[in-house]
Amino acid sequence: MATESGTRDQSWFGDTGQISRLPGRVFAATCLGATLFAILTVFGLLVYVANDAFRPATADPRWHLVFFLTLVLPSLALFGYYVARGDGESWVAATALGIPFFGLLLGSGVLLLFIDVLSVVAWLAFVLAVLAAAVVIKSHRRIRPAPGFLEHLLVIVGSLGAVAPAVYFGVVNLPVVPTPWLIYLLTFGAAGAALAGLVVARRRSSDRAGLTAAALVFAAAAGGGLAVSAVGIEPEIWVVLFTFAGVPTALYVESVLRERERPVGLLFPLVVVVGILLGAFLVDTLGFAGPDSWLDYGFLTSADSRFPEEAGIYPALIGSILMMVVVAAASFPIGVGAALYLEEYAPNDGALGAIVKLVQINIGNLAGVPSIVYGLLGLALFVHWGGLRPGIVIVGGLTIGLLILPIIIIAAQEAIRAVPDSMREASYGMGATQWQTIRRVVLPEALPGILTGSILGFGRAIGETAPLLMIGAAATVYTPPNGFFDLFSAMPRQIYAWVGKPAHEFQYGVMAAGVVTLLVVLLSMNAAAILIRNKYQRRT
Amino acid sequence: MTRKTSQDHVSRRKFLIASGAVGAVGLAGCTENTGGDNGGGDNSGGDDSGSGNGGEDLSGDVIIKGSSTVYPVSQAMAEEFQKQHSNVNVTVDSTGSGGGFKNHFCPGNADINGASRPIKDSEVEQCSSNDVEPVEFQIAGDALTVAVNKNADWVDCMSFDQLKQIWEPNGAQKWSDVNPEWPDKEFELYGPASSSGTFDWFTENVIGESGAMREDYEPTEDDNTIIQGIQGSETAMGFFGYAYYEENKDAVKALKIKKDDSGTCTAPSLDNAKSGDYPMARPLFIYGAKSSIQEKPQVEAFLEFYLNKAETDLVKKVGYVPSSAEQRDKNLQKLEQAASGN
Repeated sequence: MATESGTRDQSWFGDTGQISRLPGRVFAATCLGATLFAILTVFGLLVYVANDAFRPATADPRWHLVFFLTLVLPSLALFGYYVARGDGESWVAATALGIPFFGLLLGSGVLLLFIDVLSVVAWLAFVLAVLAAAVVIKSHRRIRPAPGFLEHLLVIVGSLGAVAPAVYFGVVNLPVVPTPWLIYLLTFGAAGAALAGLVVARRRSSDRAGLTAAALVFAAAAGGGLAVSAVGIEPEIWVVLFTFAGVPTALYVESVLRERERPVGLLFPLVVVVGILLGAFLVDTLGFAGPDSWLDYGFLTSADSRFPEEAGIYPALIGSILMMVVVAAASFPIGVGAALYLEEYAPNDGALGAIVKLVQINIGNLAGVPSIVYGLLGLALFVHWGGLRPGIVIVGGLTIGLLILPIIIIAAQEAIRAVPDSMREASYGMGATQWQTIRRVVLPEALPGILTGSILGFGRAIGETAPLLMIGAAATVYTPPNGFFDLFSAMPRQIYAWVGKPAHEFQYGVMAAGVVTLLVVLLSMNAAAILIRNKYQRRT
Repeated sequence: MTRKTSQDHVSRRKFLIASGAVGAVGLAGCTENTGGDNGGGDNSGGDDSGSGNGGEDLSGDVIIKGSSTVYPVSQAMAEEFQKQHSNVNVTVDSTGSGGGFKNHFCPGNADINGASRPIKDSEVEQCSSNDVEPVEFQIAGDALTVAVNKNADWVDCMSFDQLKQIWEPNGAQKWSDVNPEWPDKEFELYGPASSSGTFDWFTENVIGESGAMREDYEPTEDDNTIIQGIQGSETAMGFFGYAYYEENKDAVKALKIKKDDSGTCTAPSLDNAKSGDYPMARPLFIYGAKSSIQEKPQVEAFLEFYLNKAETDLVKKVGYVPSSAEQRDKNLQKLEQAASGN
């Protein structure tokens, strides 16, 4: 085509009668340049910050050599082998390493939340209350299989509004309760076992296999707890980490092994873990000093200090987690509800349609409003009107929830719009009502997209600083918040405070450690979003 | 649970499993319910400041806002206090002296406000309209430091008059406008924003009129920005609290200051500020809300701790001049009066 000479229409092909490929090549090269520039600058920044946070140069060179030989070289070689085979082992390898890693991260988050913030007894009471309400609703269904809508609603409202609170306060005020680790075992451990049982039962289409799996998981949670308490580790830690990291890993390994789906990939996490342990053992016995990192265990577990070596991010980390609970609880249901209404119910034409269109446009505009404006809005709405104290978790969470609400609405709308109309029509064709169609067809189909978009929105929320400044989240807090009405500081606010300090160690070292912590949390959330998307996309 | 013999052996097995589970739970252990709160195992312990609340287990919030200059002192105090009273949640924030009074302290949302200048009459009025009565404590001294670029070798010392010529509204544009021997280059000026107590002190004491400052300088709440600005340009100039200079002695050059042309040039230092030789030495304050002192024992205990420690080396390590023993006794007396409601 490019060298085709024109005979009929000279002017169209130009005088030479040829089409030049040059503009296309230049354009492609420019695009490549832009991509490389963007990637390299961001990557360079990350390397710079990570270098400040970990200070690898302070380590003994032999320390690096040991870990290079035990960890980096074998795992790189193995991964290279997978990629060279090109048979999808690398995906299995990455998943098998990623599941326990993120499980541990999530489990640690839950542990932090429960050890310092939430009361164990209240948690048990909450779980029992929800269970009691569910049992009431279920058994009502069973006794009266076809209740009227009102009756059904009445039972739901009654069980949630009366039965659940009664159970909650009953349990909270019991004179004697199980020890904390038993509570963890009965809530997290049992839930993990039940989920594992369900998954296995469905995979193998056998109730017996499911029961066995559930029993095994529960036994491992209980037995492991007793075992680790014998060596002096708190059994709570085992139960929670096992539920969040061990169970999903075991399920994944089981599925890979049973389907014989490239089980070679499972070798990768083993190599990584053995490499880390071996390297740690070697540098310890040989006495090679590791790097003098700013980001270490002490940084994650201690409060801020005026001495940079002692400064930590713990209260701010807890503050951020609690704030995200408020953000998610406030913005997700409202955002998805609004998106459902706008996509499925809202009128398209007439005067009302014009209003809907105006609302749509302005949701897009709101997503672009600077975050400091939301801070002012939150200050006016929740502090001056609502009468809440400035600087508490719930004010911060609601304000940032407002900030990401437009993002969630838009993401959910995109996901709902992506559900093909043919599916809705097929549902109507079977005689389903609009409500049944939305509940049984549209929502399940759109849910992965909604979740992905929302988690990306939450990722933005956790890094917001300006609204926190406006609502008066303090620069320095020494104790983590104990509840949603406590004063708090969040990670970005703490980082901002460190940057303003006179000492260089704060401005470069401690700040970098805080940034890396924030980035790890943020990247984990994005990775979760990607995992959810991939899982559901591959199913369809 | 009553033992009922059932014909159905499956339900008997279920019962056995269930009772076994309950038994295991019972064996593994139960604990007394403390009512859902988290224990309160930490107590206030030995309080070396001789606090009257030594035996009580203090809890609750202490909210500190205000000056960015006082912020490092309050932060150090909070950190030390927290070690003894881990159930008290002390939060420290840096909002600028004026910003703290206007937005937090006087509306009644803060217990303590740091200030690098005395409270203004307008602020006292705002406070009293909200039934907030500020109690003043002078806790430290600062040597306000004027700094220039390391390479600015033409200047070592400035008088108040020269500073005024530079910083007053419509001030000098070029160095040579102030002194013909200085280079014919334009100023690049960095200073605190108008919400800052440092700004108020400087305009009042050096320029001679509160709030009168030229408009074409770079105002910021972040003193590190001032230092970076001075580092970046040979013709730059700025001023900030001594603590920031001490951390950046290698980065910028501090000017000696003389009050008038006949005075002697004095370098900024804690000793010179303490002796009163340095003309830009200024007092730092904290203001406690009287109602907080009376109603919240943790605020009173914290203030008592603060005022006692303000006389020690802790303040010096932060980079300020500690208060004198006399000043400390005066402060403690004031606190006692406020607490007892006089």
